[in-house]
Amino acid sequence: MGRSVLTRLERLPRRGLTVLSLQGLSLLVPGGWSNTTSAESLIAEVIGSHDQALVAQVRARADQLSRARHEGYGRALSVYDAVNRSQHATAGLRVLAGVSAGVPLLKRLADLTPPGDTLQAVDLGLKVSAELLAFTQVNGLPGDSFSDFAAALADYGSEARLRMAAMVTFDGLLPLGDQALRRLDGLLGQASTTQLRQLPAYRRMAGLMPGRNDQAHMGFVRRGVEQWVGWAEGLVSQLGLSGQRAVQALETTLGPWQGRMDQLAVFLDAFTDTYAHTGVQAVARRLVERAAAEI
Amino acid sequence: MVMPRPFRWIVGLLLAGALLVGGVLLLPFADWLPGGTVADLPLQQVVNGSNFNRLFPPSDPDFRITMSQEKRGFSEARLKQGDQVIALLAISDTITAPEARAKFDQAKQELEGWPLVEQGPHASALLVADRFQVKVIEQGSALDADHRHSLLEDFDLQGLASLGSPSLPRS
Repeated sequence: MGRSVLTRLERLPRRGLTVLSLQGLSLLVPGGWSNTTSAESLIAEVIGSHDQALVAQVRARADQLSRARHEGYGRALSVYDAVNRSQHATAGLRVLAGVSAGVPLLKRLADLTPPGDTLQAVDLGLKVSAELLAFTQVNGLPGDSFSDFAAALADYGSEARLRMAAMVTFDGLLPLGDQALRRLDGLLGQASTTQLRQLPAYRRMAGLMPGRNDQAHMGFVRRGVEQWVGWAEGLVSQLGLSGQRAVQALETTLGPWQGRMDQLAVFLDAFTDTYAHTGVQAVARRLVERAAAEI
Repeated sequence: MVMPRPFRWIVGLLLAGALLVGGVLLLPFADWLPGGTVADLPLQQVVNGSNFNRLFPPSDPDFRITMSQEKRGFSEARLKQGDQVIALLAISDTITAPEARAKFDQAKQELEGWPLVEQGPHASALLVADRFQVKVIEQGSALDADHRHSLLEDFDLQGLASLGSPSLPRS
C-alpha cells in the first residue's frame, strides 16, 4: 500500500505555490497555520515531550497502523489524491486550451475559461463528500449517537479550520462568487449525473459512497453538502471571508493578480495541491494521536 | 531469440490467461492477504471501539468530552475546557500491541488495583484486566499527574474489566 502516512507527511513541499497560497489564506484565519512536514515534531507536539525513545515508539506504531489496509488511512489518502488529480486534470485542460491558442502562457492565463458554474458546484460537492468519506475512514463513526458524530465532525472542522477555509474560498467563493454557499444547493439541483461522471475523482470515490448508482451518489453528495453548508456559512461569517479579501490575502504571498477571481480559482486548481496537502497533515495528526494513545 | 509464430501466440495467450485468472482469484480476497489488519489479528478477536464509548468519564458543562475517533480496538475523546483541548482520553485493546502491555511489568504505582505508569511528563496510562490500556495525554499544561490520575479513575474501570477475557499470553 505505498508509503506510510508519516512518510507522505515528510515528503510534503516546504515551499512552492501550494504552501504560499495556504500561507496567504492563513492571514484570514486566526491562529494561523504552520506547514507541518516533520513527523517528529508533530509527534513531540502531541505527546508534549521530545523524548527520543517515546517519539520512536509512537512513530513505529503509527507506521504499523497506516500499513494495515483495513484501518482506512491509506484509503483516505487515496481519496484525497484522486480529488487532487481530478482537480489538476480539469483545470489543466483549461490552461492548456490557453496555451494551445498559440500565445505564451502568461499572457493567456487571463483568458482562461472558467468551468461552468454547475460543474464547479459539483466539484465542490464532491470535495465535501470526499472529506466526509475520508473522515469516516480515519476516525470511524465516533460516539454512540448521531449527535456525537455531528459533534466529532464540528470538532474536526474547527481543528482543520484552514483546510475548511481553503475549500470554501478556493472552490466556493473565488469561482462562484460571495453568494456561493447560498447558490450551491440550487446549482447542485440543476446538475446531472453526467456532470458527476465528468469529474475523474468520482470514479475513485464511487466505490466508497453509499448507494449503488450515480443517482444515489448524487443524493449522497447533496445531503453531505446540506449538512456542511450551514457550518461553512458560520465559518465564512466568523472569519469574514469573501472573494475580495481572499484575493488580497493571496496577493501578499503570491504577488499581484490582475485577472478575474474565477480565473484565479482555475490557476490555483491547476497549479496547487492545497486539498491533498492539508489532507495529509490532517490524517497524520489523527493517526499520531491514536498511535500515542496505543503505545 | 526468434520464436515460431504459433508459439508466440500460445505464450501470449497463456500470459493473458494467467493475468486474468490471477486478477479474478486475488482481487476478492484482498482482505485475506496478510497486512490487512493491525498485527495481522483477525478483527473478531479485537474488541470494537463502540464498546468503549460509554465507559468514558461523563461530560460536564465545564469539562466537555467530545468523542473523536472510534476504530476496532480503539476509542478516543477530547477533554475540552471552553474551546481549549486540555487532554486526549483513550481506551485501547492491547491485543494488537503486546509491547504496550510490557511497560506495565515495571509499574510501581497502582490505581484501583490496576498497574499505572507515567509515559513522559504529560501522559499517564493504566492497564485494566491485563488487556485494556486507558490513557490520558495532556495537551498544553493544564493538568498535573494527580489530575490525570483522577481522570483515569473517572472512567468506568469495572465495566472495562468485564469486557474481555482477562488472561492473554504476554509476549
